[in-house]
Amino acid sequence: MNARKSSFAIGFVVAATLLIVLAGLLPGAKMLSFDTVLRALFAPDAKIDSILVWTLRLPRSLAAAVAGTGLAVSGYLLQSLTRNPLADPGITGVTAGAVAPIVGCFVLLPWISSAYYPLVGLAGGLAAASVTFWVARGGNGRPLHLALGGVSVSLFLGAITIYVLLLAGPQSTALLFWLSGGFQGRTWSHLIHMLPWIGVGVVGALLLHRVIAMFALSEHAAAAMGLQLDVWKPVLLVLAICPVAGVAPVAGPVAFVGLAAPHIARLLKPQGTIWEIALTAATGAFIVTCADLVARTIAIPKELPVGIITALLGGPVFVYLIQRGRLDFQRDVA
Amino acid sequence: MIMASPAQTRSAAWLLPSGLALVVLSLVAAVFLGVVDIPAADIAAALSGHGSPEARSIIIEIRLPRIVTGILAGIQFAVAGLLLQTITRNPLADPSLMGVSQGATLTVTIFLLFTVYIFEPGSNTLAELPIAWLPAAGLAGGLAAGGIIYLLAFRLDLSPLRITLCGIAIGAVLHALAIGLIAGWGSARIEIILEWLSGSLYARTWDHALFLLPFTIAGLAVLPLIYRPLVLLQLDASVAASFGLSYRRQFSLVLLVSCALAASAVGAVGPIIFIGLVVPHLARFLAGRHFPLVIPLTIVLGAVLVTLGDLVGRLVGGAEEIPIGVVTAILGVPVLLALLRKVP
Repeated sequence: MNARKSSFAIGFVVAATLLIVLAGLLPGAKMLSFDTVLRALFAPDAKIDSILVWTLRLPRSLAAAVAGTGLAVSGYLLQSLTRNPLADPGITGVTAGAVAPIVGCFVLLPWISSAYYPLVGLAGGLAAASVTFWVARGGNGRPLHLALGGVSVSLFLGAITIYVLLLAGPQSTALLFWLSGGFQGRTWSHLIHMLPWIGVGVVGALLLHRVIAMFALSEHAAAAMGLQLDVWKPVLLVLAICPVAGVAPVAGPVAFVGLAAPHIARLLKPQGTIWEIALTAATGAFIVTCADLVARTIAIPKELPVGIITALLGGPVFVYLIQRGRLDFQRDVA
Repeated sequence: MIMASPAQTRSAAWLLPSGLALVVLSLVAAVFLGVVDIPAADIAAALSGHGSPEARSIIIEIRLPRIVTGILAGIQFAVAGLLLQTITRNPLADPSLMGVSQGATLTVTIFLLFTVYIFEPGSNTLAELPIAWLPAAGLAGGLAAGGIIYLLAFRLDLSPLRITLCGIAIGAVLHALAIGLIAGWGSARIEIILEWLSGSLYARTWDHALFLLPFTIAGLAVLPLIYRPLVLLQLDASVAASFGLSYRRQFSLVLLVSCALAASAVGAVGPIIFIGLVVPHLARFLAGRHFPLVIPLTIVLGAVLVTLGDLVGRLVGGAEEIPIGVVTAILGVPVLLALLRKVP
């Protein structure tokens, strides 16, 4: 696929996402007609319909799109960095690493402003990823070792998180909602808080697409092409974790998006890394907006957490990838 | 089979007696130490059915049942881990890595959330929850998760290691479902569920121990039957087949036993992670090349580690005790990471 076709594919996915965002403005506890939504969008007034659209539904859908973009790019970077098609923020323990210290701060250090939560998440995510990668290196970075390392780290952090929730008392309900992943009641300010972190990840990945392409080949090749591995590895890791750190305080853990989006994007066979990254980002936005729409419409007036929807969709993708991925696990036999 | 040298056999002969001594020691410690300080003489009196009523009720109704439940659960987790590690030929398999624990967690969560509407309409108190049913609910979920693994393994013709990866995915999905359900429908019961979810022996009664007992016995009784396949499965599937082993049948049997052991234990005491993972490794490390010792050592160490872990949680936390699940997580992680690094 050449650049023109690739940009066409991206345009298509972006348009589809916008369509879902638009469609998502209609349903809810109060159903709005298409006319009402259009009027509210282009000629907002002080009526309830406009307020519904502008302060509740639109920011929430856009937050879902932006979060999806970030998670997808994070997954793409982790997959390139580890040359492991099963890598994603959840599998590598990054998500649990970002989520656990945020829960800890919320409950145990409540004087820390929530504005610092992305920083806390970044530090935790980096720490968790470092442990996982250190473990995976023992297995020469094979998919199984990475997954086992990441899941062990996640299980450990999960046990601690549950204990902190237990200490949280009445606050635990709100925390559990957040832990199940979702965008209920998210506002413009949430969106704005998330943006810089996701922007860093997405823009950074697009700018560094040549470095990422070299990494995706092999470390030897990258070194042979004169790449400073010691410099670029941590840079890419931070770029991969920034979006997760930005999404975590707002939406909690949204599983499997980072895993599935790059693979779905590659099905469209974009030409070149930069197009792959852009298409992955668009696909991530599409997946999460769809999941969010399903989550809030499938059981009106109750809402399901988005995390459940993405998990139910992503689990089968994972199994499919394992079955089809031509990954040589047999060599891992101990 | 690899033969042990005489020297190894001699050192192995010491292992079991010292292991049993460790069991007795940890048992005594768990009975005698606690938040409420009771003089040793009173405890001895209580154990023989005399002594003050308070001492008797603390020992007989609170400490002993939780110790016995812990021992049974510890044995079950450890043996389940050993069996899973053997059939998946993955030294790092564990019920919580294969989705079995998460399956049990999901059904127990559903049970805790919705039973009140089935059994006791209109009431919302802990006392009226039919808690003795929890292990059964856990068993159903764990077996269902095992069934999914089984179907994937033979429908998709997956290698043992791919099965492990699929187990990770299944576990993630089931975990997300459980957390979502608690968030959406938890209301007044969130604390009860969290308490259970953190893996705790708090307030376990003789009912829990009695429920687990048949599973422990059945699980241990099956072990001699699957001993030969277990040894052969340490090798390769094709080697095992050349010894006349039906891999598929043995895989199914061992998977079933291990799921039943892990799931009933999760139902009774919550998902205590790392016991199933770490104990078989410790046992293998201690037994060296003397494979027959691995199974008894696994049983002994499973019982001891849970008893001691619970004791640590009780003593360190004071009145607000630290759940055993958290203790095993904190103590198990360094061991686990070291193991992960070393496994080729």
